Amino acid sequence: MSARLRSAARVALPPATVALAVVGIWFFITYVVLAPRRRFLLPPPQDVIRVGILDGDHLNEILGALGQSVAVAIVGLLIATLLGFVFAVAMSQARWVERSIYPWAVVLQTVPILAIVPLIGFWFKFGFPSRVIVCVLIALFPIITNTLFGLKSADRDHHDLFTLNEASRSQRLLLLQLPWALPAIITGLRISAGLSVIGAIVGDYFFQQGSPGLGRLLSDYTYQLESEQLIATVFFCCLLGLTAFWLFGLLGRIVAGWHESYAPAGERS
Amino acid sequence: MTGAVHAPAAAAVPALAFRGVAKRFPDGTEAVDRVDFEVPAGSLTAIVGPSGCGKSTLLRIAAGLVPATAGEVAIAEKPVGFVFQDPTLLPWRDVRSNVELLGQLHGVPAGERRRRAEEAIALTGLTGFERHLPRALSGGMRMRASLARALTLQPRVLLLDEPFGALDEITRERLNEELLKLHQAGGFSALLVTHSVAEAVFLASRIAIMSPRPGRIVDWLDVPFDYPRDAALRSDPAFHAVVAKVSESLRRVIA
Repeated sequence: MSARLRSAARVALPPATVALAVVGIWFFITYVVLAPRRRFLLPPPQDVIRVGILDGDHLNEILGALGQSVAVAIVGLLIATLLGFVFAVAMSQARWVERSIYPWAVVLQTVPILAIVPLIGFWFKFGFPSRVIVCVLIALFPIITNTLFGLKSADRDHHDLFTLNEASRSQRLLLLQLPWALPAIITGLRISAGLSVIGAIVGDYFFQQGSPGLGRLLSDYTYQLESEQLIATVFFCCLLGLTAFWLFGLLGRIVAGWHESYAPAGERS
Repeated sequence: MTGAVHAPAAAAVPALAFRGVAKRFPDGTEAVDRVDFEVPAGSLTAIVGPSGCGKSTLLRIAAGLVPATAGEVAIAEKPVGFVFQDPTLLPWRDVRSNVELLGQLHGVPAGERRRRAEEAIALTGLTGFERHLPRALSGGMRMRASLARALTLQPRVLLLDEPFGALDEITRERLNEELLKLHQAGGFSALLVTHSVAEAVFLASRIAIMSPRPGRIVDWLDVPFDYPRDAALRSDPAFHAVVAKVSESLRRVIA
């Protein structure tokens, strides 16, 4: 077995084993634990694939909703990234700005989002903008905290080097703090990307107007006891979150490949 | 041994002069007290002392990174370069880009910056490693890159804060020899802080001994070896005698 193949097997085998175990447990529950008349609670995997994925009508319905949720998640994440980045940079530059804003960012994080979703609907109606606002509220905090942490984590000697050489504030920010913060920013984006997917689905679940997204489909399938489609939709929700997580991991390797966490195992010190 | 000991008078205008320098930190810690000495132009002076005696604080005061509580540091020749114990390379920049950093901060035009960087890279033996990221370099090579970066400013005074403290003995000795060559070629004045007596004797023409906190200069020793010096000096019995003398002085201070 070549080294590359062995390395791929080392990466893929553990999660594949877990997946096999989950499918095994799934079969066990469906065919052993559940009586046939209660099997609708957890239909077997092949039924989920046949009804939820191979059936063209159902698949089109789910893919249409997926597109709608992706649009909400992307716009929400973009706005959260922009706002979070601006707030974090402002806080890193002046202690009084940090003292003014940071407590409110923490408060934002503690707001029970499910409780204010109806309020957002009242204030902004039940369409696309409200769904995006829910996404922004959920995704903002990790971007602010991670970016701020990254901007403040350059060590004293590096700051001293810039001080000794009379670096301007913008030189210090652009040549030291921002590059230093990139791995932390990417980590924040990875967390927020997953959260923005959840935000898009939660918003959609509550706001039942306009084109349906994944949340609305989940709601419909639940009420109609269509477990196959429901599980297939959950599968697509997970796939969306995973894709977002993977894309930001890739972005991290491109823009922060110099960082230890992205270095090949043999190069880590 | 107590009280201030005056450094041997410097013949010419000193490159660097500490006059009654004291530093008390806000928590009440007295780091250094009544430090008076001069670094003659073109010389390499070393300060040795026990850990925590304020050696690095003195350098940081000289560099303007820490304000003195009393006294002043007069610097006759500028620019001043500073080499930290940690190489302080930016991990996302390759060697060439790291070496060019100071020129970039000082607004040196790109062409001139590149020329100086290439010259410094060649002087420090890093040719061929220009495109390497710091993580791909050994500790010694990182420190060479750090030295190269300091040289691009063409410093008249170089402050060295235990620059080789984290390196193994062999690498350290090799870099000591290279630093001596750079010093001879560059003609800058240097103030070196180190806790290695052998390193101080090998590099410096004068050695100041500092007492434990609050740090004071309590003794001076002239190193009686002419420049240029090479690795063979370390095998010379006279070298060992001077090392023993400095060590003895240091032991008395700590006791």
